[in-house]
Amino acid sequence: MDNREISNGFLHENTTSSSNENPPILKRKRNLPGNPDPEAEVISLSPKTLMATNRFVCEICLKGFQRDQNLQLHRRGHNLPWKLKQRTSKEIRKRVYVCPEKTCVHNHPSRALGDLTGIKKHFCRKHGEKKWKCEKCSKFYAVQSDWKAHSKTCGTREYKCDCGTIFSRRDSFVTHRAFCDALAEETARINGSTNINNSLLGMGGNNIGNYNIMQNSLVPNIGTHFSSIFKPISCTNHETTNQTSRSGLSLWMSQTSHDTILANNSNLHEIHENWVFGNKFSSNNECQELTSSISLPLVNNNIDNKDSTTSTNNLVSVPSLYSSQHQSQSHHQTTSANMSATALLQKAAQIGTTSTESLFLGSLGLRCNSPSQDHGNKFCGVYGSSSVLTSSDLGSAESYISGELSQMPSIKRRRVQNEEGVWGQTRDFLGVGGANHLPQFINRRMDLI
Amino acid sequence: MSLLENLAMLQEGSSSVTSSALKLFSMMPPSSGFGSPHPWLKELKSEERGLYLIHLLLTCANHVAACNLEHANATLEQISMLASPDGDTMQRIAAYFTEALADRILKAWPGIHKALNSTRVSMVSEKILVQKLFFEFFPFLKVAFVLTNQAIIEAMEGERMIHIIDLNAAEPAQWISLLQVLSAHPDGPPHLRITGVHQKKEVLDQVAHRLIAEAEKLDTPFQFNPVVSKLENLDFEKLRVKTGEALAISSILQLHTLLALDDETMKRKSPLLLKTSNGIHLQRFHPINRSTFDNLLEKDLISSYTRSPDSSSSSPASLKTSNSMNTEMFLNALWSLSPKVMVVTEQDSNHNGSHFTDRLLEALHSYAALFDCLESTIPRTSLERFRVEKLLFGEEIKNIIACEGLERKERHEKLDKWFMRFDLAGFGNEPLSYFGKLQARRFMQSYGCEAYRMKEENGCVLICWQDRSLFSISAWRSRK
Repeated sequence: MDNREISNGFLHENTTSSSNENPPILKRKRNLPGNPDPEAEVISLSPKTLMATNRFVCEICLKGFQRDQNLQLHRRGHNLPWKLKQRTSKEIRKRVYVCPEKTCVHNHPSRALGDLTGIKKHFCRKHGEKKWKCEKCSKFYAVQSDWKAHSKTCGTREYKCDCGTIFSRRDSFVTHRAFCDALAEETARINGSTNINNSLLGMGGNNIGNYNIMQNSLVPNIGTHFSSIFKPISCTNHETTNQTSRSGLSLWMSQTSHDTILANNSNLHEIHENWVFGNKFSSNNECQELTSSISLPLVNNNIDNKDSTTSTNNLVSVPSLYSSQHQSQSHHQTTSANMSATALLQKAAQIGTTSTESLFLGSLGLRCNSPSQDHGNKFCGVYGSSSVLTSSDLGSAESYISGELSQMPSIKRRRVQNEEGVWGQTRDFLGVGGANHLPQFINRRMDLI
Repeated sequence: MSLLENLAMLQEGSSSVTSSALKLFSMMPPSSGFGSPHPWLKELKSEERGLYLIHLLLTCANHVAACNLEHANATLEQISMLASPDGDTMQRIAAYFTEALADRILKAWPGIHKALNSTRVSMVSEKILVQKLFFEFFPFLKVAFVLTNQAIIEAMEGERMIHIIDLNAAEPAQWISLLQVLSAHPDGPPHLRITGVHQKKEVLDQVAHRLIAEAEKLDTPFQFNPVVSKLENLDFEKLRVKTGEALAISSILQLHTLLALDDETMKRKSPLLLKTSNGIHLQRFHPINRSTFDNLLEKDLISSYTRSPDSSSSSPASLKTSNSMNTEMFLNALWSLSPKVMVVTEQDSNHNGSHFTDRLLEALHSYAALFDCLESTIPRTSLERFRVEKLLFGEEIKNIIACEGLERKERHEKLDKWFMRFDLAGFGNEPLSYFGKLQARRFMQSYGCEAYRMKEENGCVLICWQDRSLFSISAWRSRK
């Protein structure tokens, strides 16, 4: 009552004159937060008043109270005379409070707060010193009740990501996880321990470099790192050399893979340092060094491949021909031992016209009439090895209906007779001869028109 | 090509060249697997096994097409002995294709199909991870970003306020690099506003977070507006395009999903197109000229507006005339935003054939190329590679082969078809600039894997694996 400065009387004027934020619809918006009651008395308390905790002190035990009423009630316990003050006037005068801090939003009467406790807490929080500290998480609070409320829930409900970040909210945790590096790291560690065949067939070249970079790039690169492709290299050389020296040691201890990860991480940065131009080849060589010195036990894959390398070479000379031509020199990964799927499809088309045409033709052979066809009666059809063929095939596939259909059966019959060889029994077993097999499909096709 | 010559040579003496193992095939008919496993299968060498798998896959497809379930089952059994998701390339491909075929078969019994899938949980975080892996493992998205950004920069020459609509805002890397380029602008960075569309709010939040952090670091004015929506339900008002502003649209691998909607619209409306589930396809069969095609489409659109709401359809949502969205309408809506440039990246394969066997064959080629990419760059034991194969490619394959109608979202089409659609919607092709293509080329070269190739066609760029074109990138401006 004494310490307060009552700034009265400018209610209506101020609230209406400030009316950028208080449009003439004041009356409808009474007592809503942010829109104080225009009839209310605006009170501005001094900072000292606002921050004072216990203004009323008991003379006997020196206990402090925020309100006089509480002190009086306490005095009863000491058998001291006490008096409770009644409300002075009958009218209830609504009071709103403004913050004394001039730079504060709430300094303005139009943004006054309706509650005394509220304005006190606001002042402490925003303009006061943070004296209360949470022990668990070392977060600071200016208002004791905030601090109490926080320490109740601190540490109770937590989601922890493998990278160490803690979340109190489930949704932010879930989102974080999806992008988290740790996920990548963990799997890379697993990969490092189980992943063998960087040097699958002992092939050198860029391919291996690719491997390493691609595989280990996962580690730091899912999430933040990769997208910031412009990050300059932090430390490249020494890490790489460390790796080289260590790689000879153990097969795949997590350290090794971890170091590989580190080294290759930096390599990757190197590569992507320049968004458009890369230093791929230089870093490749380094990687190659690393991987070729790691000797790892063979897994089934490897064994099979090695065997099949020799046997396939014995069998057919041609596949190795086009498997090596098929891909660029640097790709030793898929050699004659392991033909790429694309190469297999092409081969199937070649060999396959004698073997599988009865089946293919049903669904595919109708595309035989691709214009660039020079290979006699074999269809390169859909298996065309050049894109020219492929695209024209599609065109021709769709044009078959218009004109070629009549020709088809006769061509096929010719072919069917041509080859007795490899797949003869197959066809028979399927219960349909070449001729029988086709009409079904053709009929279906015709239905579509 | 010397390759073809070699193959021609092969054909001359074909029967003598075929390996002994193939002769073995002929001895034992493939579909005889009534329970007795063939031990010799295990000893097949990888190449022969691969060929055999191809043969089996096609056989099975034919059986499924002809509804010979017994035979299809037998063939699947055979394949299951050879295919494996962690074997060599062909084995993996076969594994996913047979899964798709089996899925297709099972759809004939919707109860069983639903029951089998009832406890399948698809995790959002997995999907996000897989998209990230796709970005990392392949150069496709990166090249797309390079070209898209370059096209945008060139179109926005001299603009101080740029608004970009990203129809699939999932990978912040694209815009981070754009921010970096813009921040180096001689007149100071222009104000950039990006409106990102995505189905998942969490993804947009992450993207927003990353981009805002980057912009703050670079001290460039930047604003990100998230729009959580599916493309087919996109409310164009939410994009908040201001009249007269400099707008760019980036669409990466999104538009093909809209083609699924076309199906329903067309099937219902036009008896001419009733027989096939893909009207656009059919147009090419007939010697129809462009104006007729226009008229047909227009008629469809008009009639779809006047259609009564209770015609039967598998999807009630598309019945309401106000909601019936199709590709044409979407493109028209995009056009009406008057973008200065629209850059579209799409798969360049024909996976939208009307009959699933066509699609299967095409998909076999495309995914063979994609699996080869992985085989050449990532080790077989990599868990990440497995995830990409299973959760990304496997799902696409399943969608292409097993699904029909609205469910079939992966409707990849070749670039020339997209050309037609964009042209109809009022867009004119903007050839990609020399500098953009140069940058892309250099990137591809520095990528280190020579099998990835870049082709140019009609001012657009095609990214290929060996000779197989996989992705196309093209730029469009609205032609008034």
